[in-house]
Amino acid sequence: MRFQNLTALSALLLTLFLFSGCGPATISKGAAYPKMYDQKPRSLLILPPMNESTDAEAKEYYMTTVEMPFAQLGYYTFPVEMVSDVMKQEGVYDTELLYNLPMNKFQEYFGADAVLFTEIKKWNVSYMVLASNLTVSIESKIVSTKTSEVLWQHSGTVVVDLSGGNNNGGGIAGLLIQVVATAVSTAAADYVKYARVANMRLVSTLPVGPYHALYLQDQDAQLTQ
Amino acid sequence: MKLSNKLTLITSAVMMILISGCSSQPKPLYNYEDYSDSYYHYKKNAGEQSALEYKQNLEKAIENAGDSSSGRVAPGLYADLGYIYLKSGNNQKAIEYFTKEKTIYPESAHFMDRMIQKIHAQEGDKK
Repeated sequence: MRFQNLTALSALLLTLFLFSGCGPATISKGAAYPKMYDQKPRSLLILPPMNESTDAEAKEYYMTTVEMPFAQLGYYTFPVEMVSDVMKQEGVYDTELLYNLPMNKFQEYFGADAVLFTEIKKWNVSYMVLASNLTVSIESKIVSTKTSEVLWQHSGTVVVDLSGGNNNGGGIAGLLIQVVATAVSTAAADYVKYARVANMRLVSTLPVGPYHALYLQDQDAQLTQ
Repeated sequence: MKLSNKLTLITSAVMMILISGCSSQPKPLYNYEDYSDSYYHYKKNAGEQSALEYKQNLEKAIENAGDSSSGRVAPGLYADLGYIYLKSGNNQKAIEYFTKEKTIYPESAHFMDRMIQKIHAQEGDKK
């Protein structure tokens, strides 16, 4: 093979490799979430999360992680703490009650274009014989306050192997030490840290909002499914 | 220019574009400082100390808002700060910050106006 041909071939291979490195294309944002582009919600009212996990504290902790990623993506996010307090003052203490209110109430009271509902599906550590996994799993959806339609929904799950793969064994004693170390290292802060990672995964599928430079220009962005 | 030279040039140009497209990290839209952390500590250990740190972080994020790609104060921060003043009975400051929030973000006007009206209504009751 001549030198030039070799160069051409390697250029082609390199380009192919790099393209595939950016992610295999399956569906565009425009095709996945057309209603986001139709209705163009500017503001998101983030409600306190619905907690379906076994950890009673998950709700309050997760609540502190939701605003930032959605705001950074260009949406106006209503202040979570204040909104949650105001709802309580209006007599809505129960998240379930809140999630069953007619959507137009949120438009009427807050002037919100859309509501962000989040459900904590998993927030736990599962202990197994040789390993333990921390799992944070979140489902979220954006619902229009005008039409009550679901405009976007996605779930984000993060599973972390807490044993860190250090198989320096040592029989039963080694196992015991490992379990103790695991229990100590899964403080609540760890959950919050991985909840943020789960949020980043969720948000990466959402069309960007009005304060983002690419607003209404990311229909062709490809999502991996 | 020889063909192989051209190819090398094209390859490196394509590579540059692709690499920058994959990995460039511009400044985030807003500067929140440690908003999420301080809010988390405030929820976890509710008390004077964590409440103060939460408030100080809001003030710091507002002060350093320019350190971001938008240069604006992040959504909700003025409202959060106003709400802290409202709870401590400083209605004037609360109204001031609620007004700032709706000036930067018209999306919040409906809610902020409602809060301001509520404050006026309560003050009217006292008189």
